[in-house]
Amino acid sequence: MPLSDDEKAAVLARLPLFAGVSSDSLTRLTAVAGEQDFAAGYYIVRQGQVGTGLYVLLEGRVRVIRGSDELAVLVPGDFFGELAVIDQRPRGASVEAIEATRCLALASWDLLDLLEHDPQLSLNLIRGLVARIRDQGEHPHH
Amino acid sequence: MTADQKPCPPGDYQVVVVGSGPGGLQTSYYLRHLGIRNALISADPAPGGMFRRFPFFQRLLSWTKPYAPVPRSDRFYEWFDWNSLLAEEPQNRSLMPDLMPGDSSFPSRPEMEQNLAAFAEKTGLEVRYDCTWESTRRDGEQFVLGTSDGEYRCQAVVFAVGVAQPFKPDSPGFADVPHYVDTRPAETYAGKRLFIVGKENSGFELATGLLQWAQRIVLASPRPPKLSVNTHSLLGVRARYIQPFEDQILGGGVFILNASIPRIERSADGYRVHCVRSEGGSELTVDVDEVISATGFTSPLRDLTDLGVSVFGRSKLPSMTNFWESATVPGIYFAGTIGQGVAGMKKYGLPANSGAVQGSRYNARTMVYELARTKFGVTRERPVVKPDQLVDVLLHEATRSPELWNQKSYLARAFTLDAGEGIRDEGIVPLAHFVDEEGAPAVAITVETDDTGDIHPAVYVREQGRPAVETLLTSQPLHDFRTADNRLQLVSLLRGVTAGTAR
Amino acid sequence: MALSQDELVDTLAGLSLFADLSRPQLEQVAHKMAEESYPVGQRILRQGFTGTGFYVILDGEVAVRIDGTDVAHLGKGDFFGEMSILLGEPPVADIVTLRQLDVLHLGGPELEAFLRDHPPVMYRMLKTMALRLRNTSQVRS
Repeated sequence: MPLSDDEKAAVLARLPLFAGVSSDSLTRLTAVAGEQDFAAGYYIVRQGQVGTGLYVLLEGRVRVIRGSDELAVLVPGDFFGELAVIDQRPRGASVEAIEATRCLALASWDLLDLLEHDPQLSLNLIRGLVARIRDQGEHPHH
Repeated sequence: MTADQKPCPPGDYQVVVVGSGPGGLQTSYYLRHLGIRNALISADPAPGGMFRRFPFFQRLLSWTKPYAPVPRSDRFYEWFDWNSLLAEEPQNRSLMPDLMPGDSSFPSRPEMEQNLAAFAEKTGLEVRYDCTWESTRRDGEQFVLGTSDGEYRCQAVVFAVGVAQPFKPDSPGFADVPHYVDTRPAETYAGKRLFIVGKENSGFELATGLLQWAQRIVLASPRPPKLSVNTHSLLGVRARYIQPFEDQILGGGVFILNASIPRIERSADGYRVHCVRSEGGSELTVDVDEVISATGFTSPLRDLTDLGVSVFGRSKLPSMTNFWESATVPGIYFAGTIGQGVAGMKKYGLPANSGAVQGSRYNARTMVYELARTKFGVTRERPVVKPDQLVDVLLHEATRSPELWNQKSYLARAFTLDAGEGIRDEGIVPLAHFVDEEGAPAVAITVETDDTGDIHPAVYVREQGRPAVETLLTSQPLHDFRTADNRLQLVSLLRGVTAGTAR
Repeated sequence: MALSQDELVDTLAGLSLFADLSRPQLEQVAHKMAEESYPVGQRILRQGFTGTGFYVILDGEVAVRIDGTDVAHLGKGDFFGEMSILLGEPPVADIVTLRQLDVLHLGGPELEAFLRDHPPVMYRMLKTMALRLRNTSQVRS
């Protein structure tokens, strides 16, 4: 069942990615973020495709695959797909739903628009990326 | 006194020290203390270094408290007295407070000069004054210093020549403009319109001193002033000198501009200063009677760069090892304020006090011990510490060691932990050296301030073949770190490492 | 040779991190950050030790070193130190100067406010992070 606007705003506000963003941003997010459902086995994004948006996992689980390697399993609250939005390059990995999954989808232009107007969102996004870079320990910077 | 009656005549010495400011005096004292034959030469006619002339108008920025939480005989009194030089004999220590009348905790310039002269006299230091260092060369294993009195040969040289050589930008007109060092007595600026280039301590010191004399004062430099009360450190313009800042806020005749100065022209009755505002780039012309360029200093290193001493940065300080030895010419050392070129750990961007007497005096002593050990085989006692005392000794050091307090996160007290030799007190070491170099298993303690301003001990444990590991201990409101909590942490930290040293 | 204010701003204008800033904004950046120099062989950030700072390289080169092995070299225009500050954790690698280094430095506690004040800089940083992630195995598209 689709979320009401209030429910959607509440869900969004709780996500780490949107922690501390302005209420203006939350309102805008609520208006533009769409819910999408995916069946188990469905490829939400495919490696090499042009990216059109970022996804936040609300329910279910997905796996991140590059080539034949499974890189990660994501759980509700995690986000994916943001890199292609930031640098406009093709998707670097595929994301497959492991089970029935619901995501919040944010189109590229909406996300970029929000980033421009909400420094907190940018900061959160940077922090998220930085944490991920550090976790994998491979090519760390600072 | 004729040339041949002056002490330290030209000839052969183990070490030559150049400069009779705090750095040179402190260095020569400890070299002598270790039995190393050294000549101390100085271009000046008397001791004191920069304090023979600066600061011009104001008191020093370093305190000496006549009434402190500990008695003067206590080693920790050095934390409340940033101006006295260090000495082993009780009668030669803490000379500064007795020279201050008691109306301030900051000495005046003449009082500081007297303090340094008293140190030289009471310790019987032999100094050859009016002897100017002119040239430097190598001759095999030795250095040969050419001076106005003749040649000196030595195995190592310590240059304590200060960072007091005037520096002015080479923009048009600056050559004709007096530098800070040329400032005249205050009365001669009475009723004048004054323009001071530079907004750091020297610029503000002049503005403070000339505040009631000058008709109008403009202070200008590209960047906004940084105030120490905002940086919560000793970085920036110190509280003593910010009267002009308040005056500007009230609109009383002081103007603080963020602008670059591309050009200064002579005019009929003074100068015309061309400014370009940093914000927006608009131009502004200011007509004044006097200009002073308080634009900083470099170190008069003469021909040392020709000898291979590498320098870096805006002030062209020498690149040095953690023991203040030239990074490129071994055997050349530096003491005094030049030591600020050794950054140390500089956590959170805060430097230690190596540019000031309270820090450089310890650096000089530590440097001398290392110089003596590496060049002349002079070894120090390394007293044994019983394993069950180590934790107490470490926490006591963090709480009451003036070296650790004056040079936070820069100097540390170290103890080696060798199964055969037991726990040995290595004395004061540069912290960066302890953590960056490999060595015997050891533990070092220092005092640090973090980016919230919290002051706490930090312990570094080095095990064989592994890099040092850092552990921060907990602060305490009255800065007594000998808490049960810290004790527990240390005990558990050291358990594995000291196990092998139990006797 | 020390840079004049103009030369400094010119240098900043050429760095990709500040590529989207106007001249007045570049001047602001120059004011907020401090110019510092380091000689060869100086450790600026230390693996596993507390101590943070944000640095932008104006001239020179550093090595990013983990457990004694160089994993990257950084030069003019590159920046380092932001990860530790943003995550509130100690650096995971040493930063060691390979040549004399001139940098702009900003204290850790000031970085967030600085990024908020200069959204184009934050966006450039975001893009750099994205690039770093692309070069690793943790890409999530």
